[in-house]
Amino acid sequence: MNWECCWDRDVIEMGDCPNIHEGDEDLLVSKRRRVLEKCCDCENLRRDLDRFSDSDHPLAPVFNIVHSEFLRQKNQIHSLVSFLDSKTLEIRFIHELGVVLQSSVDLEEVLSVALTAITAGKGFGMNRAFLLMADREAGLLKGYLAIGPRNLTEASQTWSEILCNDMDLQTLAQNFRNNKLSAERAKFHDILEQLTVPLSEHDHIAIKALDSKHPILVEDAFHHPEVSPGFAALLGVDSFLLMPLVSRNRRVGLIIADNCITHRRITDEDMHSLETFSFPVAFAIERASLYDKLQIELNRVTEAGKKLKEQQELIVRMENMALVGRITSTVAHSVRNPLMIIGGFARSMLKNSPASDPKRDFIESIVSETQQLEVVLDEILNYSDSLYPTRDFWDVNQLVETALRDVSDVLIERGYSSRYSSVPDLPPVYIDFKQLSYCLRTVILSDIVGMGDDRTIAVSSQHSGDYVVIRIVDHSRNVPQADLDHIMVPFSETRELGSGLGLALCKTMLEKQNIPFDALAVPEKGIIYTIKLPTHKEEKQ
Amino acid sequence: MSKLLVVDDEANIRLLYSEELTDEGYDVVTAGSIAEATEKLKLGSFDLAVLDIKLKNESGIELLQQLVKERHEMPVILCSAFSCYKDDFSAWLADGYIVKSGDLTELKHEIARVLAKKAQKVKTSM
Repeated sequence: MNWECCWDRDVIEMGDCPNIHEGDEDLLVSKRRRVLEKCCDCENLRRDLDRFSDSDHPLAPVFNIVHSEFLRQKNQIHSLVSFLDSKTLEIRFIHELGVVLQSSVDLEEVLSVALTAITAGKGFGMNRAFLLMADREAGLLKGYLAIGPRNLTEASQTWSEILCNDMDLQTLAQNFRNNKLSAERAKFHDILEQLTVPLSEHDHIAIKALDSKHPILVEDAFHHPEVSPGFAALLGVDSFLLMPLVSRNRRVGLIIADNCITHRRITDEDMHSLETFSFPVAFAIERASLYDKLQIELNRVTEAGKKLKEQQELIVRMENMALVGRITSTVAHSVRNPLMIIGGFARSMLKNSPASDPKRDFIESIVSETQQLEVVLDEILNYSDSLYPTRDFWDVNQLVETALRDVSDVLIERGYSSRYSSVPDLPPVYIDFKQLSYCLRTVILSDIVGMGDDRTIAVSSQHSGDYVVIRIVDHSRNVPQADLDHIMVPFSETRELGSGLGLALCKTMLEKQNIPFDALAVPEKGIIYTIKLPTHKEEKQ
Repeated sequence: MSKLLVVDDEANIRLLYSEELTDEGYDVVTAGSIAEATEKLKLGSFDLAVLDIKLKNESGIELLQQLVKERHEMPVILCSAFSCYKDDFSAWLADGYIVKSGDLTELKHEIARVLAKKAQKVKTSM
């Protein structure tokens, strides 16, 4: 019998077998391999077998059975190899994802990778994906981010771009994060806004998936008994997959994926693959969220550390200031007694020296110079005292009345009178009594030189909000506002110690206690000083 | 003639006060420490005491408290280099307060004022 197939020849030439092509040369001399790999599927062999069957040989039917079974098993092995190949690819993909997810603690990056993986052709190839995050404090599952085209035109454009660029998953995710994250968020803003479900709404299909910690594949969504019409209309797609993201038994969020453009059926295989993928994603999201919170706490601690350092520096500065104050005070005190003795004896000598004494001018100089030095000393001592105020609650009437009593002799001597008006039930004020007494005395006595017709100092106090306002009105003087402002500038370059720094010193003292102090020159009426004393301890910053 | 006790640790200040206040017509006795003042107080009565607050290692405020307790009828005027003592609680026990100065006018006025007040008080109680 002449056989059409080459199975009966040990060696063949190129062209003898229609299934052997360039690259298969080794099969020309290997009969066994040629028969198993080529002849079994060859039409020539099929025809040879038919002829063999027609020959009534008793082995013919058996041979046909064996041949059919061989072909069936061969096909089965082929599909198993294909299945294994696809699974290998999937595992490689999941591994690649895992490496990216494990190495990132940036929430935006993790989300970009996750959503890109779901929608990329090289990944799970879904058309669209929404990520909803669980906000445990607010008790809500909230739409956070989405990815995918909204229509066919956009889909075609995006997919052709991806095809042209041939990017791997990580590059795709990076590209998405850098260029498209905000745009996608804005694009799906309307849907994301409405994709908010209370975690307590256990009948909602999304919460059901989250509670059960298992994915739910929804088909025929518009007629599904467990899908609310509103939810189906919002997604606008008949079939979608709800994939819960659960990490360490905690509900992190939910992914909704669909094929809204291609309408490709979502298979169980898709669901299982996505389920495998959801574990590292959930873990990475939770870790990134925790890292974010940790970063916030770290920033707070850093900020607190910075403030602490500032406070420590402030304490050191205050200690230095207090030290300066103590040194100043000690030096001034040591100077005071000799100065007083010199000035005192000079005055005694002056008193007893006749007007014709040629040395009288010298003695007068000693008296005036020591007097000037005493004024300087007073200002230094008062300033050093102002460096560390001691504040407590005090009665305003006692403060004002004591100050007026202290200055009454001087006022009378200079032809002045004073009056004080107050209102009942004034609240106590939070002040350094010593410093405020000094300030009141200084303000009342400042530059009163007995000019003007109305020599009255009118003092009043009244309650206003969180303050008790003391007003001191001196009708006797008419000073331009600019001059008054100049007098109030502490230690300005044009003024020296001993030249009457009283008001400026008062301003410094009061500013240190955050007490507002103003002096207003009112033409033809005099000067109005206003001191606002707080009725509460100031809030700590 | 009113009899005054001046307590100050500076000898020259005691001398100055003594000279000036004697000129004003007062009988002036001086002491340089609390112990010396206590001794002199035991020897006789005084119409008024002028105390320096800072007495080397002692405090005139302590002597003031002692005097208020034991001789409350004798007024006391405090002298200090610091004006801030004027508003110190303890200093409020005194009948008068002055900041030390080469110009003794204020001290003299204060002595006259306090003695007049004392005299008025005695007159009222009689």
